[in-house]
Amino acid sequence: MNMKWLEDWFEKIEPKGKWSWLGSTYEAFHTFAFTPKTVTKSGSHIRDAVDMKRSIIIVVIALMPALLFGMWNIGYQTAMSTGADWHWLYMWWFGFLRMLPMIAVSYIVGLGIEFAFAQYRHHEVNEGFLATGLLIPMIVPVTTPLWQLALAVAFAVIIGKEVFGGSGMNFLNPALVARAFLFFAYPTHMSGDKVWIANDLWGSDAIAGATPMGELATGAHPSASALDMLIGTIPGSTCETSFIAIALGAILLLMTGIASWRIMLSVFLGGGAMGLLFNAIGANDYMQLPFYYHFLMGGFAFGAVFMATDPVTAAQTNCGKWIYGLLIGAFAVLLRVCNPAYPEGMMLSILFMNCMAPLIDHCVVAANIKRRERRTAK
Amino acid sequence: MRHDIKIKKGLDIPLGGIPEQKILDLRGVERYAVKPPDVVGFTPRLLVAEGDTVTAGQSLVEDKRDARLTLPSPVDGIVETIVRGEKRRLLEVVVCRNNQSTQNIQNTPNTLTPESPCWWMIKERPFGAIANSDHKPKGIYISLRDTNPLAPDLEFVLKGREHEFEAGVKALETFAPVHCVKAEGPHPAGNIGTIVAAIDPLSKGECIWTVNAQDVANIGRWCITGEYRPERVIAVGGPAAKAPHYYRVICGACLKQISEAQVMYESYPAMDGDGQTVAHTRIISGSPLSGSTVAADGFLGMYDQQVCYIEEGDKYDFMGWLMPGLKKFSFSKTFLSGLLGKLGNLEILDTLGMPRPSYNFNTNMHGSVRPFLFTGSFERVFPFDIYPLQLIKACIVGDVELQEKLGIYEVEPEDFALCEFIDPSKTEIQSIIREALEVLRKEATA
Repeated sequence: MNMKWLEDWFEKIEPKGKWSWLGSTYEAFHTFAFTPKTVTKSGSHIRDAVDMKRSIIIVVIALMPALLFGMWNIGYQTAMSTGADWHWLYMWWFGFLRMLPMIAVSYIVGLGIEFAFAQYRHHEVNEGFLATGLLIPMIVPVTTPLWQLALAVAFAVIIGKEVFGGSGMNFLNPALVARAFLFFAYPTHMSGDKVWIANDLWGSDAIAGATPMGELATGAHPSASALDMLIGTIPGSTCETSFIAIALGAILLLMTGIASWRIMLSVFLGGGAMGLLFNAIGANDYMQLPFYYHFLMGGFAFGAVFMATDPVTAAQTNCGKWIYGLLIGAFAVLLRVCNPAYPEGMMLSILFMNCMAPLIDHCVVAANIKRRERRTAK
Repeated sequence: MRHDIKIKKGLDIPLGGIPEQKILDLRGVERYAVKPPDVVGFTPRLLVAEGDTVTAGQSLVEDKRDARLTLPSPVDGIVETIVRGEKRRLLEVVVCRNNQSTQNIQNTPNTLTPESPCWWMIKERPFGAIANSDHKPKGIYISLRDTNPLAPDLEFVLKGREHEFEAGVKALETFAPVHCVKAEGPHPAGNIGTIVAAIDPLSKGECIWTVNAQDVANIGRWCITGEYRPERVIAVGGPAAKAPHYYRVICGACLKQISEAQVMYESYPAMDGDGQTVAHTRIISGSPLSGSTVAADGFLGMYDQQVCYIEEGDKYDFMGWLMPGLKKFSFSKTFLSGLLGKLGNLEILDTLGMPRPSYNFNTNMHGSVRPFLFTGSFERVFPFDIYPLQLIKACIVGDVELQEKLGIYEVEPEDFALCEFIDPSKTEIQSIIREALEVLRKEATA
């Protein structure tokens, strides 16, 4: 493909003189169109073809099955609740129209702030938000008002990331910071039975419909079967209901090596172990719930695959990743079963372990240092 | 002592242009250079002037700190030019050979001492500096396999020099036990750093010496006959080399003749920032992972045993982050080439009648510099009991104490070459490690 004309155009419009302060914005669009022609100067003369844009775009692609299924499920839930007889394509179209403004708001607000910060610091714009900006609308209830979403995104980008120096410097997962902000600032819009199913195409009116975990918190057995949860035809946050769709994304992340298999596996192991422990105790209905229900309900799978594996906020050493993942899984199930105030424990569990990750790494590295000191002393 | 070790972690980069096992004799090249900056820890004092006649083995420069250490002329000839850089730093002493050999070959056995002309061939770790005879190394390590991309097959190039190699080992044994190590496995298995870490890791306060296997034979020849003739068989290859094969040269040889025969792309009339014509082929003396760029009429580096020709990658790549990338090589599996390789060892392509990917390697960075985001991949190409990312960060912030604790003395910049290669954030890791080691070395010798 001969793109010489575009190359020339970019070179022509390069901001100079009084416009040179726009450098970061120009650079962002230029490198979006073309991988730069920079060559190596020192060290390794040849370089691997992978870069940050490629890595992040793999995450975005991995989110697609869950996103597409989530859109369909929004329409499906509304149709089921109103008794409307919709074609499956219309269900998807309904969900698409519901999701589109949320995604647009998330990207516009988030990228706007990212560009402003990059411009102010004369940095290049980081591509990390391409994933974060898509993750945020995927983990909130469909009826979340757009202004709340905009506030949450702004909070996540500024307080969750930029105050620490931008992508790579944050210690909390920005997408979960956004969700936590909504959860604590507007609790009535984030939990209960009246947020999960959209009433009509516009606005934030909802139809009553409980999630499996909402039912469990009130002491009832979930009305949805394990199969429904596996496929994802249940009320819940927009795109986190389908275990299968999330698993498809997980396969891509693991095959490309973008996400750590250690973290993903250990979250499930930790959650499963905690679930089995509760089964053994069996003091109430929730404890007797088969352990694998925890994997299928709520945000467990989505959190394990897309949130816990965020490499910036996870533990960075291989050994640390095991500990980090096991504890996320265990705490998530513990919070679900033992804390009726918070029906979903995954978000808080990951955020808590984000805070603990540097400590875990510190201990793992300290063991290495001790080993070296012993050798020197010998 | 001979060891065979096996290393699992690492990566063999499928760089094209593997040299054919055929040696062309180029010992007749006219011009040679001695490059003091290649010898770490050597502060040069010039002993000759332009126009002086010198003999092979005669000192051209000596070390200001220890006058026993010298860099000798590799051939008989006349000092043609003395090249200086910024702040009059001595970069090269170029010797033009004349044909009357005046070298005094005594044919009497010599003993290896710091005064010997071959001494500079012995390097010391930590820091990779010229060996300090006051130190007591705990071992002398010789790698019998160079695993760098397109590196020479040492067994092949040493054929016929076995008895010189033996003599060299015997000479080195007077200083410390000598370990000849053949490492199996992907690069960096053959690196001295990897070998030492696998056999007996360096601790603070200890040191080891290391000599390139071909230089062991050179030392051996000098010990047997007294003749200083530092020969090396170099592997010449790379994706932009016309006919990759081996050349027998004398250390410091001018690469002009080789480049004329091998360069595939001529210069083209683009200008770089300083208005210079940019050559379209990069000539690298040393490994493509850690060597240095030389001009078309430049000279072989002091310790180098390979020359590599790679196309400059100063071209835009449209939507490079989105395209399937069947010709792109990545250690990650984020391109179709890697995914297919993982799925069915590329046999899928054969059955579909599609060509197998032949990777396009050039000197493009393939991306912009970013903070470290992804973790866990460095460990897969770094066969040390060291946390690479943590050590790199300690070097960036200049925390000397933490660097020591994390094992900085066990590594050299070249040990991080693969980390730098696979790094998606395009950080100059080898420079970071080099600068940190330089600070430590200056502290240690001050």
